[in-house]
Amino acid sequence: MARPANPHAMAPSRPGPTRTAPPQVPDDFWTRPRMRTYLLFDATGVVYLCVGLVALRVAWALAAGPDAWQALMTSFSHPLYVAFHALALAAALFVGVRFFRLFPKAQPARIGPAKPPPRPVLQAMLYAAWGAITLGLLVVLGGIWPS
Amino acid sequence: MVEVYRHDVVIVGGGGAGLRAAIAAVEADPKVSVAMVSKVYPMRSHTVSAEGGAAAYVPGSDDSLEKHAYDTVKGSDFLADQDCVDYFVEQATPELTRLEHWGCPWSRNDDGSVATRPFGGMTVPRTWFAADKVGFHMLHTLFQHSMRFERIVRYDENFVTKLLVDDGAVRGVVAVDIRSGAMRLFVGRAVILATGGAGKCFPFTTNGTIKTGDGMALAYRAGVGLKDMEFVQYHPTGLPGTGILITEASRGEGGYVLNSEGERFLVTRDYGVGQKAELGPRDMISRAEILEIEAGRGIKGPYGDYVLLDLRHLGEAKIMAKLPFVRELARTYVGVDPVYEPIPIRPVLHYMMGGVDTDLRGATPVPGLYAAGEVASVSINGSNRLGSNSLTECLVFGARAGVEAVAFARAAGTGNEARLRAEAEGEGARLDALRGRKKGGEKLSHIRREMQLAMERGCGVYRDQAAMQQAVAELAPLKGRYADLALEDTSQVFNTELLQGLELGNMLDVAEAIAVAAAARRESRGAHACRDFPKRNDREFLHHSMVFFTPSGPRLEKKAVTITRFQPEERKY
Amino acid sequence: MSDVKKRTFVVTRFDPDRDQVPKTQSYEVPCRPDWKVLDALNFIKDEIDATLSHRWSCRMAVCGSCGMNVNGEPKLTCKTSLEDYGDTVEVAPLSNFPIIRDLVIDMDGFMEKFRAVKPWIIAAKQRAVEEGTYRQSPEQLAAFKQFSMCINCMLCYAACPVVSQEPEFLGPAAIALGHRYNMDSRDEGQPERNAVFRGEGTVFNCSYANECSEVCPKNVDPAAAINQAKLNAVIDWATSFVVRREK
Repeated sequence: MARPANPHAMAPSRPGPTRTAPPQVPDDFWTRPRMRTYLLFDATGVVYLCVGLVALRVAWALAAGPDAWQALMTSFSHPLYVAFHALALAAALFVGVRFFRLFPKAQPARIGPAKPPPRPVLQAMLYAAWGAITLGLLVVLGGIWPS
Repeated sequence: MVEVYRHDVVIVGGGGAGLRAAIAAVEADPKVSVAMVSKVYPMRSHTVSAEGGAAAYVPGSDDSLEKHAYDTVKGSDFLADQDCVDYFVEQATPELTRLEHWGCPWSRNDDGSVATRPFGGMTVPRTWFAADKVGFHMLHTLFQHSMRFERIVRYDENFVTKLLVDDGAVRGVVAVDIRSGAMRLFVGRAVILATGGAGKCFPFTTNGTIKTGDGMALAYRAGVGLKDMEFVQYHPTGLPGTGILITEASRGEGGYVLNSEGERFLVTRDYGVGQKAELGPRDMISRAEILEIEAGRGIKGPYGDYVLLDLRHLGEAKIMAKLPFVRELARTYVGVDPVYEPIPIRPVLHYMMGGVDTDLRGATPVPGLYAAGEVASVSINGSNRLGSNSLTECLVFGARAGVEAVAFARAAGTGNEARLRAEAEGEGARLDALRGRKKGGEKLSHIRREMQLAMERGCGVYRDQAAMQQAVAELAPLKGRYADLALEDTSQVFNTELLQGLELGNMLDVAEAIAVAAAARRESRGAHACRDFPKRNDREFLHHSMVFFTPSGPRLEKKAVTITRFQPEERKY
Repeated sequence: MSDVKKRTFVVTRFDPDRDQVPKTQSYEVPCRPDWKVLDALNFIKDEIDATLSHRWSCRMAVCGSCGMNVNGEPKLTCKTSLEDYGDTVEVAPLSNFPIIRDLVIDMDGFMEKFRAVKPWIIAAKQRAVEEGTYRQSPEQLAAFKQFSMCINCMLCYAACPVVSQEPEFLGPAAIALGHRYNMDSRDEGQPERNAVFRGEGTVFNCSYANECSEVCPKNVDPAAAINQAKLNAVIDWATSFVVRREK
C-alpha cells in the first residue's frame, strides 16, 4: 500500500536496538488534491525561470538595435508566445491568491510594539496593493502616462 | 544477558510527580545522576489529561494556609494526616510559582496576575488554571524544563518488573526494554515510585490504559503496606460509555447538574452539600447522582443511566474562554455541543486516594524507597480528595521525594551487584517463559474484563458487605486463572501483549487490596459509602487501613491518623 | 446490537525478527456506530489477534500516542470516527518515520529535533520564588498560547513533504514549540533559538505546503509558527549586526 520516502527521514542520530523498516508514504501521497495544489505552487518556479529568460531575451534585443527590437516584438504575437504569457499570468494569479490566503497567519502577533491588522483587512490590503501596482504598471508601460 | 545501568537515583514513572522529583534531585546536587524509567514517553503520562486546575494559596488574597488546610482535612472526612496537610499547603504556592517561572501558561487576570477559579469543597477560590488543560500544560512544562538537565537520563518505554531489595534497602529495579525485549538492571542508591494510580482495575474510568497500578504492586510485593486502598474517587462528571473526564471546572464556572426532570437536585434536595450545591465535594455529588438515578430520575442511555450537566447559561464566549476543551470533548465523543445542549454525565472512577504508604518526606518504611503523586498515600487526601489538590500534590511531594532521595543516596551503598544481576536474570527467565506462552486456557482480555466487572459490582459508589465480600471471593480465583494465561505474541520486539499480561498481574494485586480493605471498613467515610453502615464511626474506624502482601493473601493492619489542629466534626457543607 | 456493522481493517504488520519488509493483514471487525478507529484496533488486539502492537493511552486526544495513517491520512485514531469511512479501512504506521513493529514508529528522531530548539524558558537571571510569578497580561499570553497546545502527536511530520525528503529539517512541531518560547514574554532566549532556526535543519526548508496545519488535531497551526519564525529569524540575524549580544 505504500512505498519508501527518503530512507533517512526522521532517523535518530544513532540507530536503536532493533532493526526498523524504512519510512513509508502512501502511494498517493504526492497525488492527493491538496498535495497536487502545493506541488503546482512550487512548480510555478519553472514558469518564472522562463519569464526571466524571456526578459533577458528582451534586454538583448533592446541592446541590439531597433531592427532586432522590432523583430522580437513581431515574434511576440506568435501563438506559442501568447500561450506562454497566458500561462505566466495564470501562474501569477494562482500563486498570488494562494499566497494571500496563507500570508496573514505568517505575521507574528507583534513585532516590537507593532501589531498586524486583522486577517480580512490584511488580505484586502494585499489585493488592493496588487491591483494598484498592476494598474500603475499598465498605465506607465502602456504609454498612457507620462504621455 | 542483562544490560546494567548505574545511577544515583532511579525514578520509575515520568509524569507530574516523577518529572518534578527528577528536577528536584539534580537541583539538590550538581553531581547526582538520575535515571527516569518510564513505560511511556513522559508526555504520554496520564497527568496530561487533568483538566481543572491546581490549588494554592494566592498571596494577597483573602485566602490563608489555614483555610486551605481545613478545606483539605474536612474534604478528607478527617482521615488526612494533618502534619502532612500543613506541609502541603505551605509548599503549594512556591511550587506553582516555580512552575510559572519554568513557563507554565497559567491563565491571567487583566492585571497580569495569575487567575483563580472556585472548585469543589474549597471555601475560597484558590485553583490556578490554564484554560481547562492544566495537566497538559503542567506536564509539558515540566518535561520541557527537565530537558535542560543532561544528568536526567531518560529510559523511555522501559517497563519495571521488580524492585530490588538487598541488605535491608532498595538497591535498584529490573526493567524490560519494551522495544527490544532486553532485560535491564538499573542500579540506584534510591528509588522513587511515581507511577500513578490504578483506574484500569475498573471498567468505567477516566483513566488511560497505562494506569495499571504498577508502582503500587511493585511496592506491595516488596513488603510495603498499601494505605487506605478502599477509598477510590468517583468523579461526578464523566461521559457515559467512554468515561472521558469533564472537568470539575465546568461546575466551578457555574454549570448546573440536572436530573431527567430538569431539576437542580443538588439544590432542591438535601444531599449534604448545602449552599455549595454543584461545588460540593466529589464523593457527595457522585452519591447524589446515583441516588437520583436509583429514584428513577435518571435518563436511560445505551451505556447506562445518566444525568445532565448544563452549561448553556454560561454562554458561548465564556465556554470558549474558560472551557474550550470541554466543548471539544463533548462534541467529539457524545455529539453534543454544550453551548446548545446539556452534556450527559455520570459518576466515573477517577482517582485513588490510597496507595503506597509514605510519610511527609515521601519515604516508605523500606530504606531508599520513596513514592510521590497518585501512587502514594501520604496521606493528604484521606478518604476523599478535593479537586485541584492532586496536581499540586504531585509537585510538592515529587519535589520533596527528589530531595530526600538524593540525601539518602549520598550515604547509601549499592548492594551486592552480583546478587542484583542474578535477580535480574531471574526476571528475564520469568518473562521468557511468559512471552507467547501458548499453553494455558485463559484469555488475557477476558480475565481483565472479569476483574473489572467484579470491582464495579463490589466497589462502586455505593457498596454493601455482601457485594464487597463477593468481589473478594471472585478475585482470588481470577489470580489462579491468571497463572494459566495463554499468550500469542512470541516476539521480542515491542510485545504489547506481554506488557498487558504483566500489567494485569499488577492490577489483580491492587484490586484485591482495594476489595479486602473495603470489606473491612464497616462504616461510611468520604468516598467509601457502605449501605450496611451508613454513618461515620470515629470510635472504631478513625484509622488508616493498611494492606500487606503475604503469600497466603492480604494481611490487614491499622495505622493511626495524625490529628493536630482540626478535631473531627460532622462533615456538612 | 442491531446497528453493529462489519468492516474490514487492512492493517500493516511488521516484526523485524520475522519479516523482511512490512506487509498487511486483514481483519473483520463488528463495529458499533459510535466507535473510533482505535476501538476497532483494540477489539482486534483483545479478541482476534493479540500479536498486533499499537500505541495508545488517554483515548481523549490529549496524550498524542495514537497517531497513525488511516486510509493514507495521518489521524489520531482515538478521535477518528468510523462513521466517516466505508466497509474497508486501511491502518498503517505514520508516514516518514522508521517502523519498529506493526503500527509503532521510532520517535527518537523527533525527540532529538524537539530538544534541539531549546524548549524551555531561557532567562539571564533566575527569578526567585519569593518574587512571585511574572506579570503576564492576557494579551501576552495570547501571543504564544496557540503554539503551546501541541500534544506531540507527530501527525504534522507524517504530512509534511519536506520531512519526507529532508532528514535534517527540524519539522513543524519542533519549530512551533521553539516559536512558542520565542513569543513568551518571560523568555530571553530568542537569539539562541533563532540561531538554531537558521542552522542545520533550518526553518527555511519549509516551502509552505501547509499540510502540517491541515492535519493538526489541536489547531496549533504549525505552518503559521514556522513562517512567523522565518521572519523573526531574519530580523534577529539583521539586528545581530547592530546590537551587541552576550554569548
